[in-house]
Amino acid sequence: MKRSILTAIGLAVVVPLAVASCSSSPATTSSTTESATAAGPVTLSLAGWSLKTTPEFQALADAFHAANPSITVVPKEYDATNYDTQMTADLAAGSAPDIYVQKNLKNFATYQIGGQLLDVSDVATEVGGDVSGLSGYKVDGKTYAIPYRQDSWYLYYNKDLFDAAKVAVPDGSWTWDDYAAAAEDLTSGLKTAGNEALGTYQHTWQSTVQGLALAQTPKADLLSGDFSYLKPFYERALALQAAGAQADYGTVTTNNLTYQAQFGTQKSAMMIMGSWYVATLIAQQVKGDANTFNWGIAPVPQIDSSTAGTDNTPVTFGDPTGLGINPAIDKSKIAAAKEFLAFVASEDGAKTLAGIGITPAHVSDAVTTAYFSFKGVPTDDLSKFTFGTHDTKAENPVSKYTAGLQNVLGDLHSSVMSGSASIDDAIKTAEDRAKNEVLNQ
Amino acid sequence: MATTLATRRPGGRLRLRNTLTGWSFILPNFVGFALLTLVPVVALFYLAFTSWNVFGAAKWIGTANFTRMVGDASFWTAFRNTVYYTVFHIPLTLVISLGLAILLNQKLRGVAFFRTAAFFPYITSIVAIAVVWNMLFSPQYGPINQFLHAIGVSNPPGWTTSGTWAMPAVIIVGTWREMGYYMLLFLAGLQSIPGELYEAARVDGANAWQRFRNITIPSLRPTTFFITVMLTIGSFKVFDLILVMTNGGPGQSTLVLSQYIYQKGFVENQFGYASSISIVLFAICIAITIFQFLMNKRRDA
Repeated sequence: MKRSILTAIGLAVVVPLAVASCSSSPATTSSTTESATAAGPVTLSLAGWSLKTTPEFQALADAFHAANPSITVVPKEYDATNYDTQMTADLAAGSAPDIYVQKNLKNFATYQIGGQLLDVSDVATEVGGDVSGLSGYKVDGKTYAIPYRQDSWYLYYNKDLFDAAKVAVPDGSWTWDDYAAAAEDLTSGLKTAGNEALGTYQHTWQSTVQGLALAQTPKADLLSGDFSYLKPFYERALALQAAGAQADYGTVTTNNLTYQAQFGTQKSAMMIMGSWYVATLIAQQVKGDANTFNWGIAPVPQIDSSTAGTDNTPVTFGDPTGLGINPAIDKSKIAAAKEFLAFVASEDGAKTLAGIGITPAHVSDAVTTAYFSFKGVPTDDLSKFTFGTHDTKAENPVSKYTAGLQNVLGDLHSSVMSGSASIDDAIKTAEDRAKNEVLNQ
Repeated sequence: MATTLATRRPGGRLRLRNTLTGWSFILPNFVGFALLTLVPVVALFYLAFTSWNVFGAAKWIGTANFTRMVGDASFWTAFRNTVYYTVFHIPLTLVISLGLAILLNQKLRGVAFFRTAAFFPYITSIVAIAVVWNMLFSPQYGPINQFLHAIGVSNPPGWTTSGTWAMPAVIIVGTWREMGYYMLLFLAGLQSIPGELYEAARVDGANAWQRFRNITIPSLRPTTFFITVMLTIGSFKVFDLILVMTNGGPGQSTLVLSQYIYQKGFVENQFGYASSISIVLFAICIAITIFQFLMNKRRDA
């Protein structure tokens, strides 16, 4: 009796294993039935991450379905931090969704070189010049993905803390020197006012220094392997740290400080961060995870006055987020998938995104209006200018070397910011490594 | 065949049934092992000689990955750091866990509690350990440096934020985490030593050190050998702790081989090169283990 139960348990374990190892990808079977009824309704799968807290995928799918009732787009959930690893595995296994997101430009090259993206140049021509970030997906004259959102980095500032410290709020004309001076004035002003908040906060990411250095320094080129352009930016970051105007890098890493808490709970008066934080901050203020205070966005400080001021176009950085089509998609669905891509980059798609506080790739006055009607977005003139006017340079040029170079630069960042190496030594090490380990491959 | 079946002894049926039952027990594990371990390991040896970015076919490039490794400064940095970790982690853990085991082998009040407490770090989530230790190590506000200040160290180290001190910090945490587990193994070894040996030695006038030196150490040799082998392999493939504690930084100061493999493979999509580094790591582990086996055998003889 006992033995037969055990045998049954044994078999129960074995059988599903055997079945699982033998079954082929279910996508193949379903797509054959789909092609039989090509004219009928089409269902497309779309990769997304953290669907509960990232409403953009469902919002786009719903808005598109409303405009094209015969096509349904179903988001498929991935893990936000391991998105590219999971997507790579799914693409290699042939089980990836029909349409998938290019979360950043760093890994776009891997997908494109690996032949995992359909040529969507016709869609690119159709959506035209109102879409920023499109050129980032162009390789040898062909476009392989269509951007739907284009985040840029802004200067976030807490008006209440500026008032408390009696420092003038940003007016859009700041260079880096103005920013550094303000950070120090804020710190001392706040201390006088009995407030422990610091002037500014710099998160641990290498982008916080390197992204802006690359975007604003004339002739800076990541792929050249010459990283001398980073030096003034690191000098400033270290000086602010030494002056106590921003939290020490070591404190930030060892205590796992989050940028959301540092700015959201008023521990710093300024922070340079990507545009995605606008929606996060508003959501956290509603939920009570962040304090309620007056804040605004300003253009990031500029390298010199030639691009500063509201009569110029400030230079900032950010990678577009785009959608590409999996070449394993059933042939009969390609047209529908391209329609979806065209939709997400269109004004209607952009309005949908702007309506939930996301920065769309499509730029127009109607989109700006939609964005600033989102409850909680600061509506002062400078914030509107910041959202509507900027020259956003890509953080990651599309190249097979980008991922390797960014790793090298990540090591440079941690050794400089922690004070383990001098700026010159760290840059020299990074340049040597770039030359001997990355660019020679 | 038919005749053998017909004239089969009555026990044959039972034996067949037993065999099948036996197989059904092994099979899930074996299928899992074959699919998840054996196939990837065999594939690894092939991939090490290719250039492969996951998509499409792997391109055969012969030993190019290995020649590249020879000239790759980051590989050597990772190698040196791994050796650094190993050389300090093994003796430290051995001594501390043996000391703990001897201490907790005494008839003390509340010994069960202390044994459990020493084992706790081993079953705690490694991420939680890393987060908490990182805070303890915090250069300005961490309790460790505040304590050092209090006892008069004017310039305490920056621990995980310093290129020089990050590795010692990681070694301390690694040792702290694993000592409980090895203490348990030593404890089992200690309890298998017959008490008569100690009594006889005491009668002969041996002091505590002599008893330890001439009874405990030799009797524990099989345990010590096993623990050394486990520690060596564990130290060479250390990964998770470092990844969450320092992520290899600052700079490359705590970059170890496993992490370098991860970086090349899953971050930069150079799976061929990552595979070839794994093979080198495997070769190092197996060479050291064989060496240890030979040493042990010679001492046995």
